[in-house]
Order: sequence, then C-alpha cells, then structure tokens
Amino acid sequence: MKNNKIKSIIQAFFTDLLFWIYLWGCFLYLINSWFEINLKTSFVIIAGLIFTIFFLTAGISLGRKIFVPTKFTNIRWNKTFWGWSIIVVLAVTFIVGWKLVEVNPYKFFTQFKNAGGIMSGIFNPNLDILIMSLTALAETIYLALLATLFAIPIAFVLSFFAARNLMPKTILGNAVYVIIRSIATLFRSIEAIVWAIIFSVWVGIGPFAGMLALMVHSIASLTKLYSEQIENIDTGPVEAIKATGATTLQVWIFAVIPQIISPYLAFTIYRWDINVRMATIVGFVGGGGIGLMLLQQQQLLRWHNVGLIIWLIAAVVWIMDMTSAKVREKLVEM
Amino acid sequence: MKNIIEIKNLHKVYARGTHALKGINLNVKEGEFCILLGLSGSGKSTLLRCMNKLIDSTSGEIRICDEDVVSALGNNLRRIRRQIGMIFQQFNLIKNLSALTNVLTGKLGYVSLGHSIMFTQHKDDVNIARDNLKRVGLLDFANKKVKNLSGGQQQRVAIARALMQNPKLILADEPVASLDPATADSVMKYLGELNKKDNMTVICSLHFLSLARKYGTRVVALKDGEIVFEGSPKEIDEKKFQEIYGEDAEEVEIK
Repeated sequence: MKNNKIKSIIQAFFTDLLFWIYLWGCFLYLINSWFEINLKTSFVIIAGLIFTIFFLTAGISLGRKIFVPTKFTNIRWNKTFWGWSIIVVLAVTFIVGWKLVEVNPYKFFTQFKNAGGIMSGIFNPNLDILIMSLTALAETIYLALLATLFAIPIAFVLSFFAARNLMPKTILGNAVYVIIRSIATLFRSIEAIVWAIIFSVWVGIGPFAGMLALMVHSIASLTKLYSEQIENIDTGPVEAIKATGATTLQVWIFAVIPQIISPYLAFTIYRWDINVRMATIVGFVGGGGIGLMLLQQQQLLRWHNVGLIIWLIAAVVWIMDMTSAKVREKLVEM
Repeated sequence: MKNIIEIKNLHKVYARGTHALKGINLNVKEGEFCILLGLSGSGKSTLLRCMNKLIDSTSGEIRICDEDVVSALGNNLRRIRRQIGMIFQQFNLIKNLSALTNVLTGKLGYVSLGHSIMFTQHKDDVNIARDNLKRVGLLDFANKKVKNLSGGQQQRVAIARALMQNPKLILADEPVASLDPATADSVMKYLGELNKKDNMTVICSLHFLSLARKYGTRVVALKDGEIVFEGSPKEIDEKKFQEIYGEDAEEVEIK
C-alpha cells in the first residue's frame, strides 16, 4: 500500500517535470526567436524543477491528477489548475509548431504561378519517352514483386516463432518470442527509404538496392501481421489435433496452417500493393526504377517527362489497388 | 473387468488461482459408458482434459491402460494420447479442409511427419478413413469442406476422426450441447454403438438427464470440483438432481 503511494508520487513528479520542462522549453524558444535574447537552457531545467515542486506540493498539478487520486474529482475541469495547464500547453504547442513548420498562407495563395511548369507538364505529358518510362516502370513492379516473394518464406517461418500462443511458456520460448517481435518492430519502424539509402551504398544505386530495402521492410511487417493472425486462430482444432497424439510440427501443419493460409495470402497481396507504391519512393534515394527516373527528369526540369511519369505511376497504383482489393475479397470468402 | 482409468486424489489449480478439481478419486472399468454430470464450471472439462494431458494436473495420479499420464512426455505421451479419442462441444474440426482430410488427422499419432503430409497418397489410410465416414453415414460428404456441413454432421465427422485413432477410450466433452435435441440423440446413438459394438469405454459429460439414463451405465456427478454422486443413472431422482444442480434446478425432459 505504502509502496504504491510512493510509486504514484514518483510517477506524478516525473510527469510534472516533463510537463514544465516542455512548457518552459517552448517559452524559451519563442522568447529567443522573438526578442533575440539568449536565455540559457539551464534556465528551462531550473524553472521546470521549481514549478514542479511548487505545484506538486500544492497538490493541483497534472501529474497529481493522473497518478494520485483525490476525493475532489467532481470539480469541472475548467475550474481546475490542471485543466488550464493542458489548455496552455496545447496553445503553446500550436504556436511553436506554426513557427517551426514556417507556415505561410500568404505564399500559398500568391505564388501559384511557380508551379506552372509542372502543371503544364502534367496536362501535356511527353509521349516520346513512353517506352523508356515503361521499361523503368516494369523495373519498379518487378522489384516490388521480388521483394515480396523473397519476404514471404522468411516471414512465414519467423511468424510461428513470433506467435505467443505457439511458443512454449518457458524462458527460452519467451526469449525467442520477444527477440523476434522486437527486431521486427525495430526494422519496421525504420522506413523503407532509409533501408534504400543503406543498401544503395552497400550494393550500389539501382533496382537491386531498392529490392533489398523493400524486402527487409516487408519481412518485418509481414512477420508481425502473420504472427498476429496465428495468435487469433481458433484454438479448438489445435486442442483436437494435439489430442490425437500429433507432434508439435504436425499440430502446426494440420491445425494452424489451414486456418491462416487465406489471410496470409490476402496480407501478402496487400503487401505487394504497398511495395509497388513504396518502390517509387525508394527509387528517389537510389532504389532504381521509375522513381529514379522521376528524380532525374525533375532535376533536369523536364516537366513534360515528369508529367508522363506521374500519369504512369498513378495508373499502376490504381490498377494494383483495384485488383488487390478484388483478390483479397475472394480470399476472405475462401 | 479391468480398470481402464484410475485417478487418485487429483487436484488442479489454475494459474489464476481457481481450484477446479479438489481431490478426485475415480476408477472406470473397461466397457463402461460413464456420464459426467454437473453445472458449467464444476470441473467436468478440466477432468476430461487432465486425462489426456491437454491440461497439466497440479497433483495426484492418473493411470490410463496402466500407464502414468501425469509424467508422460514426448513419445510416451503421444502413445497414450493416440489411444484416447476426444469429442468436443464445438466439434473442433479444421473448417476449411474436407471431411476426409479431417478424418485422416485422427491417424496423426501413428505416423511420421512425411507420411502425414502425403496422407492422400496412402491408399490404405484413405480407405480406412472412408470406412469410418461410412460408419457415421457421411461417405457422400467426404470431399466437402467441413464448414459447409451442419452441426450434427460436423460432430459425426469428429466421431469418425476419433474412430481413425482406433481408440480404447473416448472422452466426450459435452458432445451434444450445441446441437438440437433430435440431432443430439442421433449423435449419442453413435457413441452408444461404439460402446456396445466396439467395446470402447466412453466418458461423456452431459447436461441432459434423459440422455444420461438412456446411454449411461454409470453416472458421476461433480460439484465445485468434487464428486458428489456416483452410481447408476436410475438412482438419480429429483432430490439427487437438486443436490447436483442446486435447489432451483428443474429437470428438462428431452425425448
């Protein structure tokens, strides 16, 4: 009981500290950029600490509200200190955001003519480079396809070890689960574009680098999707097959795989769909294909070529989207 | 007659602290049709699942066909399990596979991994599976996906799967609880036939006393994880029934 109280006070303290340091940090940034005086960072920390201690002991702070329950909970939020501190922090965040992002509506409404080149390019695409663009486009589609194909078997095997309900509840089983899941999450949180930069240095600029980038990203995300699918299977058949005296591997093959095969296919096709879209972006940073060509033409300011490429990409994404939706619909019924 | 099941002082405490079985002592002789009665949560399912180690018991002894179940692992456990067929309330078939393939999975405890992957290539297995489907009257549905069959048909496929194991013992966990009364009786008929013709021992949890009287040779009633009644189904009168199911309970008759 007492431990709990201390824990919640510590939690409240750090929440408040974070809150005040953030708020004073925002103030510091605004004051420094408006008045061009140089307040020190240490000021933020000291001010944050003082405010934290003061309002926490006064018992009216946000952290106190979240972690230390009090009897007076029926006061309307707009009559409380924590309620107003949330309003203030939201307002300050909005102002800082506006400044950091350099929001400028004036530019948006008055400088449309700068985009005239690309706009006229889109409406007058240069059909002379059609064959060349289609070749690059094929490169993109195939690199997405290969990335998906290579990712399937690897993610398939990994997903069994990343499914909580299949892993034995031992230290080893748990460790395998946690390690695979964490790595998958980590690799998935690194964008494909970053992987493309890494691989374009590793194997050189071109579609192969793009494929590797998409493959790594696909393995990570398919492992997660697949294993979640396994975790959601009906456990009845697993129990029944176990009861026949089947070995673990037989249980996987007869009770688990038949249940997951059609969702797996649906996810995989969806993944290919995503990969085709990402392949274009990945091309921008050295992944080859239509993306690379788009980048080159854009840098040469050949807006009519850019126009054609944009139309082609749009067409492919649209067709992929339609067909993959149709196929997935059929698979769900299976 | 020999005891096929010997259970001594069996306890099961779940990880969350529920004491599901509190010192069960039970012997079942070969050829018996033993009915387990009791409310939901009285421990029937837990008891059945401890018998083939789908659930690990906490303490006590379980011997089936003179083999120790509690300590069995790996191949030993596999050998014990394959001679115990199990039927479930929710049928627990693999719904998007055919009836025939589902029946073939009953053989898994006997064959290697390679053999089981190539099941349909093994003519003798397929023939036995077809015979078993024929026995439950579903030969015409052999190649149909199970999810397109009715509840009663699915439960009969499950019986055929259990038969494929060539079991000495059948554990049935409320096999008719999700079926309508007429279908329920026809499924029970098949279990009764296995008991009488094939001399398989059946342990079956039920809620209907009428079915218990019709098919059971013995009734074991559980309440809060303890055995509160053991005897012939005919001995259960209104008073006994209320002891098992609580004072407000009234018997529901199904014919």
